[in-house]
Amino acid sequence: MEDQPTVLVVEDDKQLLNAITIKLSKEGISGIGVLTGEQGLKYLQESGPKLPNAIWLDYYLKDMNGLEFMQKIQTQPAWTEIPVIVVSNSASEDKVHSMLTIGAKKYILKAQSRLEDIIDQIKDLIAQSPVPSS
Amino acid sequence: MSRLPKSQYFILGALILQLAVTILLFLSGRTALMASLFFVTSSSILVLGLSKSLTTVTTTLQQKTQEAASRLGELEETKKQMTQVLADLRNEKANMEKEKAKDEALLESIGDGLVATSPDGRVLVVNHATEELFGFAKDELIGKRFYEIIPMADARGELIKTEDRPMKIALTEDRKISSSDYFLFGKGTRKFPAAITVAPVHLNGEIIAAIGIYRDISHEKDVDRMKTEFISLASHQLRTPLSAIKWFAELLSDSSSSLSSEQNDFVQNIALSTERMIELVNSLLNVSRIESGRIIIDPKPTDLVALVKNLLLELEGKIKEKHHRVIVTAHEQLPEITIDPKLVRQVYMNLLTNAIKYTPDYGEIEVAISKNDTDIISRVSDNGYGIPQANKEKLFQKFYRAENVVKIEPDGNGLGLYLVKAIIESSGGKVWFESQENKGTTFYFSLPLSGSVRKPGEVTINS
Repeated sequence: MEDQPTVLVVEDDKQLLNAITIKLSKEGISGIGVLTGEQGLKYLQESGPKLPNAIWLDYYLKDMNGLEFMQKIQTQPAWTEIPVIVVSNSASEDKVHSMLTIGAKKYILKAQSRLEDIIDQIKDLIAQSPVPSS
Repeated sequence: MSRLPKSQYFILGALILQLAVTILLFLSGRTALMASLFFVTSSSILVLGLSKSLTTVTTTLQQKTQEAASRLGELEETKKQMTQVLADLRNEKANMEKEKAKDEALLESIGDGLVATSPDGRVLVVNHATEELFGFAKDELIGKRFYEIIPMADARGELIKTEDRPMKIALTEDRKISSSDYFLFGKGTRKFPAAITVAPVHLNGEIIAAIGIYRDISHEKDVDRMKTEFISLASHQLRTPLSAIKWFAELLSDSSSSLSSEQNDFVQNIALSTERMIELVNSLLNVSRIESGRIIIDPKPTDLVALVKNLLLELEGKIKEKHHRVIVTAHEQLPEITIDPKLVRQVYMNLLTNAIKYTPDYGEIEVAISKNDTDIISRVSDNGYGIPQANKEKLFQKFYRAENVVKIEPDGNGLGLYLVKAIIESSGGKVWFESQENKGTTFYFSLPLSGSVRKPGEVTINS
């Protein structure tokens, strides 16, 4: 569907990634799943003007952490417009603080939340954010 | 005066007669006969005198000899007794020396450092382990003030003042102190965590000394830290597969219409068990955060009533499910208190979830917050199952669950009250309870009005 929102999901655990994309699809969202930060950045570079409506980001990735991913996003002004929601199993105060400071919209503790609740929050963020443009 | 023997009275009578005859002869002019008689009489008198003296001397001598013999006997007896006493004393001395040597050997063989001080804190006795522990020779310690030569620091590294030193407290407050939270300094800059026990020494109702036992627990602390790190790491690692189980169970529930009723039950069981596992992992992480000392204490002025009411909104579902009545009351002029709201929220959370869980349907739960001159006292009471008398002592132990509720409510990990105690104590307060089985339980905890002390760290609760 043309107007279906797209969410880039950067999550290094295959099972989790699978569950997330299935649930997004059920909720009428197109989930683009990648297992590494580099793959995520590559997707953004290749998506041209059609940037995702939101990014679902795990903090600990195999090739970089969430903070490094955010710093790379900051290099492209268009990318900074995309709302980022961090979903991690580690939510220490310093991580949460640094991620929110650098521009993430939300920081969610993975095991504490149902997929449905996280997706509701993503929907809210998409509704609030301006449509990304290149 | 001694009396003469009878035989001498005859001699004396004869002499008197001779004297009378002599006087008559003198008067009659028979001088020659008179002279002879006079001589005999004089000699007799002399003999009589001598005889008398001799008798006296002899008698005295006999008496003295008897007395001397008696004295000699007594002296002999005394000498014998004295010799025995000396022998006993020698034995006693030998025994005492043996006992002393034994005591000293025992003292020297104690593996932990032992220090005895006088009431003014001067070192009286130390053993060999003390020398090794602190790096000082006995001579360098004996007679010195223990507080001055061996500095002590608390868990935060701040030096303990003399009046707060356990040995000083043992002497002035007459009580035993045991702790594993102090650091001691040896010679040079050697600093080590120590387990200490200090007690006053009494004699005839007076405190005559203080005695302390000191042990280096660096190794135990290292093992403990490794254990805590392991729990933290393992718990974080467990969260990822738990998230997967949770989310796939959720996806299965979404498809509930295509599942049989039995399959739906299975999915619900998987979801519930996963939630319990997640809760256990969260509790283990919180325990490891507190035990590691890495937890941040970030005090902020907090309205406890608002905090409790907010928490009750979160627990509303569970409260309604069991039809409980919850009452919140507070002191009319309850001030804001500077505490870490995240930590104290966890305390109310654990006490309230326990009260809900361990009170039958239609029960009553009350939260009352009051204050006195020094503290804010919170009371969380219920009219639930209560705590059996025999279980009360262990209630705050890690993983402990009271015997009665284990049967009624299998869901629980025994970490809630352990955390409550750890948080309250790290916030400068105290926690206690009253309970009667099948009547209910009341937990109390105090927080100092002066607030909690800020503590830098690395982790927060529930993160």
